[in-house]
Amino acid sequence: MRDAQSFDDFYRSTARRMVRYGYAVTGDHNEAQDLVQEAYARAWRQWGRLSAHPAPEAWLRLVVSRLATDRWRRLRGLRGALRLAGAPPPVAPPNEDSVLLVQALRQVPATHRRVLALHYLYDMPVEEIAREVDAPVGTVKSWLSRGRARLAALLPDLAVVELEATDVA
Amino acid sequence: MSRELSEMYQSLAADADARDLGVPDLLRQQADRRARLRAAGSTVAVALVVVGVVIGTQVVGPPPVTVPSPAGTPTPPPVSPSPSVTGGSPSPPVSPTTPGRSPGTTATSPGVTGSPQPRTPTSIPDRAFFRLAAANQIGIAPEFRDLDVLPGLCGATFPSEAAIVQRRARNVVYKLPQNPGEGYVPDGTYTHSITIYRAGRADDLLDELRQAVRDCPQQERSGGSAPVLGRQRLLADSGYGDESVLFEMRSPGQDINGDPTGVQDVRLIRAIRVGDVVTILWEQGWENTSSQRAQVDADSARAAAAVKVWLG
Repeated sequence: MRDAQSFDDFYRSTARRMVRYGYAVTGDHNEAQDLVQEAYARAWRQWGRLSAHPAPEAWLRLVVSRLATDRWRRLRGLRGALRLAGAPPPVAPPNEDSVLLVQALRQVPATHRRVLALHYLYDMPVEEIAREVDAPVGTVKSWLSRGRARLAALLPDLAVVELEATDVA
Repeated sequence: MSRELSEMYQSLAADADARDLGVPDLLRQQADRRARLRAAGSTVAVALVVVGVVIGTQVVGPPPVTVPSPAGTPTPPPVSPSPSVTGGSPSPPVSPTTPGRSPGTTATSPGVTGSPQPRTPTSIPDRAFFRLAAANQIGIAPEFRDLDVLPGLCGATFPSEAAIVQRRARNVVYKLPQNPGEGYVPDGTYTHSITIYRAGRADDLLDELRQAVRDCPQQERSGGSAPVLGRQRLLADSGYGDESVLFEMRSPGQDINGDPTGVQDVRLIRAIRVGDVVTILWEQGWENTSSQRAQVDADSARAAAAVKVWLG
């Protein structure tokens, strides 16, 4: 039996963080909204069992990550076609830093985007990130370090990346 | 000016916070509706397979014999929830502890609130237009164009057009969930439009549309080789937006050469009002396919939900 009230409480307490996470891993507002809504719809379908899960929010993040990776692959061909046809006019960005970061993240591998989002948006320690992404701690450190290095190369104004990298070394 | 990466992520978070995800009860309704549609689709598919097997057996097989079902069919054991994106996968190896949070993010910070009144917008962003469900996507991107948003109805005009603030329309190509996707023939197309009306005028369009359909029970339209007689009628409708109008257009089907196919060509058109906004889905088929009510219902729900999320 699914309890709508507990699902609604879960949704209200996690939706904002989940949209942030979705935005950070997809690099697109509309994609993020779509993926996160899809993830919550799947959560609701299984809510009878998922509500007893020890970490339903982590479950949700995993669904969002997988959907994002899946879509990223499928959209790659479409993006190539769009580039040939000319990109649609950009929407006025409300936040310059956010737009710059998102543009740079689009050129960062999916695994790196994911661990960076968990670190910077969820403030997770490396060990916890490693458990969530099911990868060794050393690999996560490497992904974080390489992700930051890539962002530093793409964002020339980014400050003291080397110093930041030491906090997970 | 130099920036810290953590500050840039905070900017990204603030940017994401500006986007409303919608209310949970609406999401639950959509999820349940989709689950029902899937179940119905699966039932139809299974029924078709069974019918096909039975017919095939009668045509080429030996005389049918009754085989009793095996007794005590085991029930599959319950499985733990596992996110399935491209099929089954193991549960995430997650820590039972609550993940840490960034400064300024609290567990009580709701991304959504109750059911606010839709505001009257002045322009229509792309995000106001619904996305097809993954099972309906065929790899053809919707195309925004200057399109007629409604079929002709005995030359009816709509005085509410004078109250339009902005209108955008696009062509959406889709497939039915049970059919293969990219590289295969689509199952239908929509002309999908969103129109903003001046405050309090959107319901005029729905009234005018109802009257136009009533006043035009039949009309001739050009066919492949000769005019065909089409019939229009209103269908009972509820549950979409603040109010909605659904009507069908039927006409004798014709093949690509204009010869009669012997079946009716059915088109469904639904106009949904949400506040001062009206979104219209006009299903136009693909190479003589008829509109499928369940599919139009599902996409209507998505269209209305996208408008609601946009309006906040």
